[in-house]
Amino acid sequence: MDYIAQGFMQAVKLLVSGDPETYSAVFTTVKVSSLSIAASLALGIPVGFFLGYCRFTGERQLRAVFDTLLALPTVVVGLFIYALISRRGPLGRYGLLFTIPGIAVAQTVLVLPIVISLTATAIENIDERFRNTVSTLGARGWQLVTASLVESRHAMLAAVVTAYGRAISEVGISMMIGGNIKWHTRTITTAIALETGKGQFSMGIALGIILLLLAFLVNALLIFLRRRI
Amino acid sequence: MAEETIYRLQQVVRAYGTDFRLHIHDLYIGKGESVGIVGHNGSGKSTLLRILAFLDRVDEGEIIFSGSSDREITMLLQHPYLFKRTVFENVAFGLKVRQKREMVKDRVRDSLALMGLRPAQFMHRRWLELSGGEAQRVALAARLVINPEVLILDEPTANVDQHSAALIKNAILQYRKKYNTTLVMTSHDIIWLNSVSDRVMRMHNGRIIGRGTDNLLHGPWEDEGEGLWRRVLPDGQYIHAVHPPHSDAFGVLNSSNIMLSTGRPDHISAQNVLGGQLLSMSSEHSGDRVRVEVHAGGLLFSCSVTHHAADTLKLLPGKDVWILFKASSIVWY
Repeated sequence: MDYIAQGFMQAVKLLVSGDPETYSAVFTTVKVSSLSIAASLALGIPVGFFLGYCRFTGERQLRAVFDTLLALPTVVVGLFIYALISRRGPLGRYGLLFTIPGIAVAQTVLVLPIVISLTATAIENIDERFRNTVSTLGARGWQLVTASLVESRHAMLAAVVTAYGRAISEVGISMMIGGNIKWHTRTITTAIALETGKGQFSMGIALGIILLLLAFLVNALLIFLRRRI
Repeated sequence: MAEETIYRLQQVVRAYGTDFRLHIHDLYIGKGESVGIVGHNGSGKSTLLRILAFLDRVDEGEIIFSGSSDREITMLLQHPYLFKRTVFENVAFGLKVRQKREMVKDRVRDSLALMGLRPAQFMHRRWLELSGGEAQRVALAARLVINPEVLILDEPTANVDQHSAALIKNAILQYRKKYNTTLVMTSHDIIWLNSVSDRVMRMHNGRIIGRGTDNLLHGPWEDEGEGLWRRVLPDGQYIHAVHPPHSDAFGVLNSSNIMLSTGRPDHISAQNVLGGQLLSMSSEHSGDRVRVEVHAGGLLFSCSVTHHAADTLKLLPGKDVWILFKASSIVWY
């Protein structure tokens, strides 16, 4: 059982000593998940808003599709995107395989349903008097859209937290698309998988603790924001 | 109508399922006019207000609005909604979306002050740091600040404490005097509504059935023969009426068709003579008449008499009086 306690010790040591390999994995993780969150918000908020705000035929079926995609397995996304961006695939010429943008693209696919679904729910859950109120106060067109998003900002923040959590914790995509290349596409999760395979449990635990710390920091930042806005 | 018309509604119909149908035959509202609407819950008041605010569509009929733009109409909902922002942002919202950027702070301050909310104390409060009455006043301040052409108020004082209700009533009265805004509002407080309205309409079952000061008389009516029907009142007195369309019909008795007497009158042609007690007196908005509420036969009758008559009869609350009206003065709906 020693290796568990050793893991904690090692985590502190790695962080304090500024171990370059560890920090490389940390930065890669942050970079990849930030890219994928930015892309999924840019794509997912408009779609989610449309789904939550407008009533049209087939809307419920479409919502059901996105809700199902919330449970999308990472390896399935990995496989699908691998097929698309590998040399023989239709997007092969962009050379995305085993690169950070490649992982980010696949992670975007993974978290997009989360952003869409939670945005739609956030917009849908706005008090029904809200619409009457904004329109009788004179808001028109885009003003209605921005006022609705501002009004549901707390629920939107929850969507960001959930999506970020999913992105930094996944391993399937990073492994398949990134290839776990040291100094390059190795993320914290792929590093943990590697260390565990090598039997280096304490190193794996140390990296796990760092990952948790990172998740905590992101959450703390968002909780702070939530209080302020 | 002498003044310019801002709303004209003709044969407007709005139905919700089979249970409710609003049907407005003909309604004119003049520019700068103040119109009150009374009626029971479910009489169609709120639906009419929503249609006037263009929040609800109509199934049939025509609405002509001759204001400058539908953006110049604003409505205070019965249960108002505040944005999840500060009081300042709530009140300034209407100015912001209208791109009015000058003196926003001053305007918001004035508007809050009019509603009895000290700007320094309230401006930066968040939406959840307000009581129900304060929230209602902030919501009204957000409407007044945009200085609309038409202000629609649905029960502005129904869900607030007495202090807030008094402030809201007073602010609306002041605002009306200052800006000649067209006002359309509903309220259960008929005395106040009379004091801020040029006219009060009464709604029943989705229709406008005369003025708010009219008396509604419900059935059941019993056939007495020879075209005369009667309704037995709780204390055993009768109301006689001519030809109700059916036994459950309701009729409207105009308040100025009721005469008052301080002694029991004999040998008169009117079929209805009811003994009762005078409950309250108030001066009508128009100024030349006195509104007198009489409790007779278990019902409340609203009567309108001249100041001269009130003086001559020495009318005072608590006094025993008789009310007289013709059986034929009841109009059926």
